[in-house]
Amino acid sequence: MVAGAPPVTPEHVLQHRAPAPGYLCPLSANTYDVEFVEFEIRDYETGASVFKVSRPPGAPPVPKHIDPALEDQVRQVRYAFPEEFLRAQGIRTALKFKVGDEPVPDFRMIERHYFQGELLRSFDFNFGFCIPNSTNTWEAVYPMPENSPARIKALVASPYAHVSDSFYFSGQQLIMHNKAQYRYVPTGP
Amino acid sequence: MGLLSIIKKVKQKEKEMRLLMVGLDNAGKTTIVKRINGEDITTISPTLGFNIKTMQFNGYRLNIWDVGGQKTLRSYWRNYYEQTDALLWVVDSADTRRLEDCRQELHSLLKEEKLAGASLLIFANKQDIAGALGTLDIEKALDLQAMGSRHWRIVGCSAVTGAGLLDGFEWVVADIRSRIFLLD
Repeated sequence: MVAGAPPVTPEHVLQHRAPAPGYLCPLSANTYDVEFVEFEIRDYETGASVFKVSRPPGAPPVPKHIDPALEDQVRQVRYAFPEEFLRAQGIRTALKFKVGDEPVPDFRMIERHYFQGELLRSFDFNFGFCIPNSTNTWEAVYPMPENSPARIKALVASPYAHVSDSFYFSGQQLIMHNKAQYRYVPTGP
Repeated sequence: MGLLSIIKKVKQKEKEMRLLMVGLDNAGKTTIVKRINGEDITTISPTLGFNIKTMQFNGYRLNIWDVGGQKTLRSYWRNYYEQTDALLWVVDSADTRRLEDCRQELHSLLKEEKLAGASLLIFANKQDIAGALGTLDIEKALDLQAMGSRHWRIVGCSAVTGAGLLDGFEWVVADIRSRIFLLD
C-alpha cells in the first residue's frame, strides 16, 4: 500500500477494470481476526467436489507481518480445475470463517475476476453483522456464465491468466485482500 | 459480455429476497436450510453464529440467514432485522416444556419496528416425532391469533423427512412477491 494513498472503499474496487497492483492493504489490516476455516467448490449438478481446502484445527493464525517477498504464499491461491468445470450449469461454494473477540459490522466481500484484459465476473455479497467469537458459514449456488467454445479454449490454453481479487470490507474499511489464479486442465483427448 | 452481464446482475438484484430464520436453539433451523438446499444433514452441530444460504427458488434469489438460537446469541438477532422480507420462526413441536419461552421470544421479536412489514412463516417442525403437537395446538400455544394485520402462516413440517418444507417456502416467496414485486 502506498503511504498517503486514499483509502480503498467498496465503491472504489467496484470500479476496477483490471487486477489490482499488489495488495491494497497489509495483513495487519485484519484487526477483527477474521479467519477462513474452510472453503469448498462443488459442481452443482453432479455434487462432485472440485476443490476443498481447510485449516487444520489448532493451526497458527496467519501472521500479521510477513516479508513482502513471501506475501504471495500467504495471500494468493492457485486453483487447478478440470476443463469440464467451465461447462458446468452451476457451482456451489461453501465458506466457513471465524471472527475474533470484537463484533464485525457490515462484513462484505467483493470479488473481481479478469481474463486477458476483460472483467469476467464480479461478486458482491454482504454478510452484515458478525457476532464476536462466532463461526459462520455461507453456502451459495451460482448459475455459471455460459462460456463459448472459443472462451473455453482460450482459458485452457492460458494457465493462470484468469485471475481474481477478493476484497473484504467492514463498512468502508478494507480489512483483507487476497488474490487467486486459475488454470483449467484439459481432460478429453 | 461486460454491459450485458451488469444489466443482468442489476435485474437479478431486484429479484432478491432476504429471509431471516430464527427460533429457540435445537428447533431444527439449520437442518431445514440444509435440507431445502439439498445438503447432507447427518452431522449438524449448534450454530455459533450464522449460516447463510444463497439459492434460486421459483425464479427468485433467496438469501436465508439462519442465526443461532442459543440464549447467549439471541441478543444479537437484532443485527439481522434490517431489510428482512420474511421471518421464518422455527418451533420444536415436541419440546412442549419450552413452548412458553418460545411464545415470549416470538412476540418480543414481532414488536421490532424493522420487522413490521415482514411476512411471518412459522414452521411447526419435528412433526415426525411421536408426541409432537399439531399446528392447531402450536397456533394456540404461540398465541398466533394476536397477530393483527401481518401476513402469516403456520406450516407443519419435518426437516428430517422434508415434509412440509416446500409448502412453507412456496407460501413465503409468493407472499413477499405479492407485497414487493407488484410491477412484475
